[in-house]
Amino acid sequence: MQHLTNRAKPVDRKPMTALEKLYLWNIAKGMWITLKHIFKRKATINFPEQRREFSPVFRGLQVLNRDAEGRENCTACGLCAVACPAEAITMEAAERQPGEEHLYREEKYAAKYEINMLRCIFCGLCEEACPKDAVYLSETFAPSNYQRKGFIYGKEDLLIPHPKLEPEAYQQALGTRAKRQEKASSN
Amino acid sequence: MPKIFIDNTSYEVKAGKNVLEACLTLGFDLPYFCWHPAMGSVGACRQCAVKVYKDENDTSGKIIMSCMEGVRDGMHLSIDDKAAKAFREQVIEWLMTNHPHDCPVCDEGGSCHLQDMTVMTGHDYRRYDYKKRTYVNQYLGPFIHHEMNRCIQCYRCVRFYKDYAGGKDLNVFAAHNHVYFGREKDGTLESPFSGNLAEVCPTGVFTDKTLRQHYTRKWDLTSAPSVCQHCSVGCNTIAGERYGGLRNIVNRYNAEVNGYFLCDRGRFGYEFVNSENRITKPQVMHQAVDENALMHHLETVLTNHSLIGIGSPRASMESNFALLDLVGKENFFCGVYNEEMMLERRITDILDSGKIPVASLKQIEDADAVVILGEDIWNTAPMMALAVRQSVMKTGGREATEKTPMPEWHELAVKELQQNTKGFMVNVTVTETSLDEIASLNINAAPDDIARLGFAIANHIHPSLELKNFEEAVLAKAKTIADELLKCSNPVIITGTSCYNDPVLRAAFDIAAALKAAGKAPAIAFVVPECNSMGLAMMRGHAFDTAVRRVNREPNVTAVILEQDLYRNLPAGIVDEFLSKCRNIIVLDSLNNATTEKAHVLIPASTFAEGDGTLISYEGRAQRYYQVYVPDNKYIRESWKWLSRMKMIISGKANGHDPHHDSVISSLETALRQFAGISAAAPSSGFSIHGEQIPREPHRYSGRTAMLANRNVSEPKPVADGDSPLSFTMEGYQGTPPSSAIPFFWKPGWNSPQAVNKYQQEIGGDLIGGNPGVRLFVKSSGNMPEFFKDYPEHFRERQNKWLLLPQSHVFGSDELSVYSAGIAGRSPEPYMGLSPVDAKMLDVTEGSQVTIKSEKEEYSFPVKIVESLRNGIVLVSKGLPGTQGMSWGNWVELAK
Repeated sequence: MQHLTNRAKPVDRKPMTALEKLYLWNIAKGMWITLKHIFKRKATINFPEQRREFSPVFRGLQVLNRDAEGRENCTACGLCAVACPAEAITMEAAERQPGEEHLYREEKYAAKYEINMLRCIFCGLCEEACPKDAVYLSETFAPSNYQRKGFIYGKEDLLIPHPKLEPEAYQQALGTRAKRQEKASSN
Repeated sequence: MPKIFIDNTSYEVKAGKNVLEACLTLGFDLPYFCWHPAMGSVGACRQCAVKVYKDENDTSGKIIMSCMEGVRDGMHLSIDDKAAKAFREQVIEWLMTNHPHDCPVCDEGGSCHLQDMTVMTGHDYRRYDYKKRTYVNQYLGPFIHHEMNRCIQCYRCVRFYKDYAGGKDLNVFAAHNHVYFGREKDGTLESPFSGNLAEVCPTGVFTDKTLRQHYTRKWDLTSAPSVCQHCSVGCNTIAGERYGGLRNIVNRYNAEVNGYFLCDRGRFGYEFVNSENRITKPQVMHQAVDENALMHHLETVLTNHSLIGIGSPRASMESNFALLDLVGKENFFCGVYNEEMMLERRITDILDSGKIPVASLKQIEDADAVVILGEDIWNTAPMMALAVRQSVMKTGGREATEKTPMPEWHELAVKELQQNTKGFMVNVTVTETSLDEIASLNINAAPDDIARLGFAIANHIHPSLELKNFEEAVLAKAKTIADELLKCSNPVIITGTSCYNDPVLRAAFDIAAALKAAGKAPAIAFVVPECNSMGLAMMRGHAFDTAVRRVNREPNVTAVILEQDLYRNLPAGIVDEFLSKCRNIIVLDSLNNATTEKAHVLIPASTFAEGDGTLISYEGRAQRYYQVYVPDNKYIRESWKWLSRMKMIISGKANGHDPHHDSVISSLETALRQFAGISAAAPSSGFSIHGEQIPREPHRYSGRTAMLANRNVSEPKPVADGDSPLSFTMEGYQGTPPSSAIPFFWKPGWNSPQAVNKYQQEIGGDLIGGNPGVRLFVKSSGNMPEFFKDYPEHFRERQNKWLLLPQSHVFGSDELSVYSAGIAGRSPEPYMGLSPVDAKMLDVTEGSQVTIKSEKEEYSFPVKIVESLRNGIVLVSKGLPGTQGMSWGNWVELAK
């Protein structure tokens, strides 16, 4: 028979000696490998006390963004909803009234904005479609819930904390995005 | 037919068109802005450039604007030519330099012609890096939102508003790169056609302000073809819904009816559907009940009583017929007073004879002369007034271009030649109207005198009667008008019921008949009060007076009152008498009103948005409107469904199911022969294309799995529509549906309303598959029409009595549209018009309160002195609060 590769290695079928039959050397060799791993870094982490850093392209829960002054970016243009392959986003637009300029960045805003997280496939097309940097996929995933209706995320669930009123929570919600943005703008 | 070569392929095109129209008709996507099929070409935007070659050997060619070039036989042109393409891309880049690119906040986004054209030309990257010019926006009233920064200076708005619709308060200001389209100063746009700016504007400068209150993108609307409910013209509309509320009304093109436009009453009068005043639950003795209790109660009320039904001029044919079917022909009455009934009967008799054809709006536009007798169409049928204006302008244009041939589409050139030449139009009305300014001759007279003038005109054209006691002045006027009419070939006579005067109708017919005898092709149009007045009149029920006599005679009557407020159209005393004599009163309506207050059993009926139905317009055109959405409230159903249920209760065949639309309409056809053919107004519910229904939602419809998730995470199965070939989903046939079932206009690359181009046989022409609607009055050949010979005596003032006539208002006179805040805001305060002499005699001045006394009622209004009014007539605003139930056409007393 012709070999398919030239890497074929003939097996040594020589009978084992008495010393070899005791397996002492082989056991020691195995124990050494085990021993060696005690001093190596662990492959697992202690979740949830410890959390891994996400890959920069990780797509988690949607966040509705605010600008630096804490005004909502979303103008309820509907592009995320129309881009959504799961049809999981719905919104109702409203007009900004005089005196609400500190709440909404542009003349229209989303009075209602809901995502059905049971339907969402976290594809990120909403983020891609958004012309206002108003929706992006964060580094958290949807927590478990006892009821299905708990997965219908409204504006109160999605909005990022106010950067001036809750700066810490805001930074945390921003995650590595802030760093990435800085990096992108410095480039 | 000329043959032209586009990119070396030959095509046959229609002569007399411009290259742009020809290319679009052939299905090419050629970008344009300033050209509009209804308004012609001006060559302002430079967007529709193509390359034209001298002959087949010419390779260099030259760039021309396709909208400014007529088609010639053997013409060689190229759309795909590199230079032409680059030119178009460059033009749009220029136009976009100052455009704010604010599509996310712009209401036009998703139905924007500028977006479509930008994508079509391939301009996708902004190179202009400088400051954009900005403007201050204006407040333009409750209907139109102004955002001048988005303007691309195509001039369509002023061309429509001023030239097409005759508005005066929108103009263009400044020059160079900072022209401004707006009013002289902030304020409401006065024209009742201002809403069309939202569709005419290729970008978001003028947008629908009422849509802004509950904004939804075009792609998110569930829409259905509908028919306007606010006057008898029957304009075709598209109604859009989202989240269980009606969001907007846009135009649905019908070449024979409304074409590209709507009036503001029709466009913005939809809010009554979302009104707080809706009837939401069945009530028995003012107590809300559930369906079982209602049915149980109905059983006791309907059986063992004699039933009478009061049909409604604003309910669909189906509902009126279901009522007739329930109560029987001899027990079917119309909610219309005897006098009005006789007028409507006269109209249907004339039209039924088929001797003179009815004029559609398109025919009015194309008419070469118009005579209006006694109807203020500007206020009672606004779109008809717009059509009359086109007739006057077009005829003037044709006259002007007789000597200097110029194609009709060459708008500026024609206007330049035309100057002030206008077509012949006589406006004979009770008082001055907004159409006076374009009329060749304005005559204000009392109804009887209007009729006499009409008879005199007819007699001049074709002597058929002996005129006695006619003043010389009237005869002279009649002669001038008759002579002018004899020069025309297809004149239109317009009249209506507003004068509450039968001789006026007869006179109008006589003029038309005389013209026919003189070898002309006349047409006639009778304006009737409400959207289905014509349909109700064609049913030939008895007048309301008979119903009153009936309940006075018979003690044990259950009256079923269909979708109307009797107190609005009939004197309160008579309605009170009627209602008090009825043992049981069952009222079906959508909104609470004075009549529903008196109901023993109140049943919530659907509006046009929540139900199917057919309306018959003034021209006898049966047009179908489709349910737009399924309301959350399961009690809201079409009246015909409720009435059929009642019928089942009586016959003991109740099975808990509603009848289907198809069965109702086919029984209507068999039961009443005058409605034969009405089922052809729309495809039947079983209609499908390749087994697919027609989707009410565009394929881009968003949020399907999220919209209702806040109520129930489990997605419900889409509701099936057993009444029409339309489905309540986004799935279904994506091609061109039958013309009477087009839920929205969209074609790849054409998101704006201009997508209608792709639904037409030729640009600006009929829809593919013919225009929607079936005309029920059939033209009869045969003998010449018989003339009416009995002309009235001329109008004589009476001692201390005045003839009460209505003054209609575009905004306010219609019952349902005033539920829209904008329309309510624009409706005037009710007033009483008196001639200066009468005012002096009564010793009253402008603004002083005067009381009108009719038989039982008294009304009080401030006086307005109307110079053009004859003595002995009192005009009162129609339909406004406080003017309900006036006995129009009767003699009343006035007191300070």
